Amino acid sequence: MTPNNSGDTSKSNPILRIQIWYALLIFVVIIFGTRLFYLQIIQHEYYSKAARAGQLKQYEIPSERGVIEAYDGSSIVPLVLNEKRYTLFADPKYIKDPRKVADEVARIIGGDANTYEAKMKLDTRYSILAKKIEKKQKEALDKLDSKGIGTREEPTRIYPQGDLAAQLLGFVDNEGVGKYGLEQALNKQLQGQPGQLRAITDAQGVPLVANKDNIVQSPKSGDRIRLTIDLAMQRQVEDILKSGLDAAKSKSGSVIVMDPKTGAVKAMANYPTYNPSEFYKVEDGNTFNNASVSSPLEVGSIMKPLTAAAALDQGVVGTNTTYFDPSRYKIGDATVTNIEEDGGAGTRSVADILELSLNTGATWLLMQMGGGEVNQKARVAWHEYMVNHFQFGKQTGIEQGYESEGTIPDPIKGFGLNIQYANTAFGQGMTATPIQMASALSAVINGGTYYRPHLVDRATSSDSKESIKKPEVVSRSVVSSKVSGEMITLMEGVVKKNYALYGLDKPDGSYSIGGKTGTAEITKQGGGYYEDKFNGTFMGFVGGDSPEYVIIVRVNEPGIKGYAGAKAAAPIFSSITRMLISSFNVTPRN
Amino acid sequence: MQTSRRRVAAVENNNRKHKPDYVLLLLCILLLSIGLIVVYAISPGLSKQRNVSENYFVGKQLTAIALGIIAFTITSQIPTQLWRKMEKPLLYIAGAASVAVRLFGERVNGAYRWIQVGGLSFQAAELIKFALLIWLAGFLSNRIREGQIANFEKTLKPLLIALAIIGVVVAKVQSDLGSTGVMVAIMASMVYVAGLPLKRIAMIGGIIAIGTTLLISSTSYRRDRFATFMNPSRDCQTTGYQACQALIAVGSGGVVGLGLGKGVQAYGYLPEAANDSIFAIFAEKFGFIGVTILLGLFLAFFTRLKNIIERAPDSYSRFLVVGVLAWMSTQTLINIGAMIGLLPLKGITLPFISYGGTSLVFITAAIGVVFQISRYTSYSISNIQDAEEKHRENITDGRRFRGAYRPGSRSSS
Repeated sequence: MTPNNSGDTSKSNPILRIQIWYALLIFVVIIFGTRLFYLQIIQHEYYSKAARAGQLKQYEIPSERGVIEAYDGSSIVPLVLNEKRYTLFADPKYIKDPRKVADEVARIIGGDANTYEAKMKLDTRYSILAKKIEKKQKEALDKLDSKGIGTREEPTRIYPQGDLAAQLLGFVDNEGVGKYGLEQALNKQLQGQPGQLRAITDAQGVPLVANKDNIVQSPKSGDRIRLTIDLAMQRQVEDILKSGLDAAKSKSGSVIVMDPKTGAVKAMANYPTYNPSEFYKVEDGNTFNNASVSSPLEVGSIMKPLTAAAALDQGVVGTNTTYFDPSRYKIGDATVTNIEEDGGAGTRSVADILELSLNTGATWLLMQMGGGEVNQKARVAWHEYMVNHFQFGKQTGIEQGYESEGTIPDPIKGFGLNIQYANTAFGQGMTATPIQMASALSAVINGGTYYRPHLVDRATSSDSKESIKKPEVVSRSVVSSKVSGEMITLMEGVVKKNYALYGLDKPDGSYSIGGKTGTAEITKQGGGYYEDKFNGTFMGFVGGDSPEYVIIVRVNEPGIKGYAGAKAAAPIFSSITRMLISSFNVTPRN
Repeated sequence: MQTSRRRVAAVENNNRKHKPDYVLLLLCILLLSIGLIVVYAISPGLSKQRNVSENYFVGKQLTAIALGIIAFTITSQIPTQLWRKMEKPLLYIAGAASVAVRLFGERVNGAYRWIQVGGLSFQAAELIKFALLIWLAGFLSNRIREGQIANFEKTLKPLLIALAIIGVVVAKVQSDLGSTGVMVAIMASMVYVAGLPLKRIAMIGGIIAIGTTLLISSTSYRRDRFATFMNPSRDCQTTGYQACQALIAVGSGGVVGLGLGKGVQAYGYLPEAANDSIFAIFAEKFGFIGVTILLGLFLAFFTRLKNIIERAPDSYSRFLVVGVLAWMSTQTLINIGAMIGLLPLKGITLPFISYGGTSLVFITAAIGVVFQISRYTSYSISNIQDAEEKHRENITDGRRFRGAYRPGSRSSS
């Protein structure tokens, strides 16, 4: 065979060679076995953890947000609903032909194919192509046989009533969190309980069923909220506010209509407003604020009825009490004066104080609380009424985001407290929000019960449990029922005297209409007041045998001449009063 | 009536005919069954990934097994020596298949490996392996008979040419380093057993090493695979993904495994779960105990082949079985080695277990060839060298040598 045949027999023996070869095979198999022992037994924990890390997914299943509805006359209509919109994303790794896919996407959802193409070429695994695409478009995209694009469901709030009651509602941001208004205040209740998913899934994240490690908790939808708001009224109030502001050459303002017997808000309008479905287009963040609850102001003379109510309730004055009004009071270094049309010094009654809107009169009322002068006793007594009877200086607790407390000066600590307190008697040097004023007035004229102002009529949970919100009594002794009745008469008197100025018809006695104007000075930043800028306010009520609606009007810096309260705010009050009588069945007096 | 003829044939060839190796057959059936069970168990996951019905994979695997049984039935009936006549036709068919794959095949990652034939995908490399071992068995037994096994011109040169052709066709055009490795292993093993001097084998080994290095460095995805192999955890998210997921599957199996229906890695995590990666899936499901049993079955199977080699009736038969053993064992080890991080990923199937028709059909065909050979035992196992001498004497009377098999072949076909 070969030259070295005899010497090399063993080496070239095929049987021997196959045995050597076989031994080598066994050796390799043993190495493999050892390696498997190492991987599966020694390193088992490590790889088990690595497997779990990849396979076990944990995430929240979003719950459906509760819808918001309201009364529209006697029917219930939706204000805020949910709709499924979709975010379209691409995984560039799987897109073979970006040009073609981009063209298809542009054909279905519109937009620029070049932009989509550029996004499909990014060095990422998740590139968002478009947001808020509609279901039809999503379905068309699903039909495309294109690997690498997908859609993700994004629940979106929609507003069948457009921008109606926008600030009251607030909006839901892109993270699903309620912002401003009701959405913020009731975020938890509306949000519901997100479901939990902890599951071994396939590589695409779809849970594999029947695995003992899986935990699945279904999401609980948020509560369905029904508002106390009457949308028919809200619509008209918003219209009246807008035209009233236009007439007064004012850029902004607010109106509240409240049921004084329950504290339920029936309408709450602000201007300017916005469209909550396009909240991201709003440039000035202040627009989101519900000024009725978030923006306190020095209320001006609409405070005087409350000062009077406090003095009457303390018994330091009576409705028949008269006094000599010097038309100016010197308090410390400062002097309290009246407006020019006050008629000068003379003998005045409590009714005169309101009808003529006497600052000196309000100061005199405060003096009576201190036994004849503005002193600590007077301050403490008036502070007690402002804070603990009328609930100023603290949040009312209405279901709104960013509610402001307003400020009431401390009666004991500080400098120049006497003049400061004299000012608060006619609504300067303190601040309150319109909702605080509405609630306080309601208490004063409903017999003396302070109801917590509220917007929610009832809430229905996902398991159909309905909880109707009962009016919540904060205090039953704001003023006595006798004083309450006296205050109604006093405020009716103001309207009887000034109806023409306010733009009302001469009261014929069939309806009870009372009110008070306010022309509030505006503080400058850094101290003092503007000489030419005022806020116009009006606080009043309308009803029959008893007041049915309390109305607060606020007009910021009207551009027309004259007293802002009477010229700018009162006409809005008058229009609303007429509207309520004609459209909302205000019961006439017997 | 046939017995007498057989006995005559056996006596004439210094062989004894007996029952074929049913244990070998049993081992193959066991391995095939294990593969089918694993494919069945991971069908839900696979079908979801590919968006096909749950029965799709099991159905195709059953079809492949049926085709395999047909292939086995045919090859196990073909008299061994008849394969000599099929050398050339097989080589031509393999060549034609390679050309067809290049022309009509599907291009995946710059490689041409597959061709669609009537709804079935056909992998040319599997046919080439089979043709190669048939050719080599004939070639080497002839050279031994001629005493030219160490002759450069007559033995080494053709082998180097064959190697070059494989290098171009399989490694370069089909870009299939795994199959190339198996073919080289088949050649090396057969040549080694044939008695080619070790120096020559070492020289060829050097050439292969250089060629492999060049191939790896010339293709970017191979560079990545190699770098990944050197450091698998380097990038588990991209190039090392499959290697990492394979290790996770194997390692998380533990001692007893997660259970047949419990594994998770087949649900889209481990690529090629039914094909190249099926060992890792098996390891995840059945743990170290299952893997030990599986390796034991493979080892028993290889041992049966080795035994058949040792008592093979003639050197041609022996080389055939050596080729089959080399094929099965290297393919098994390359596949498993990649799954346990000892070898780079190659993309070849695990014999009997992996889902995949072409591979299965040619493997069962090769087992059929071995099964036929297992019917015979040389009388002079103890002194095979003598037998070789006798074969060499027979060269002078080739007609008689070949003619001796004719009665046998008639009787068994």
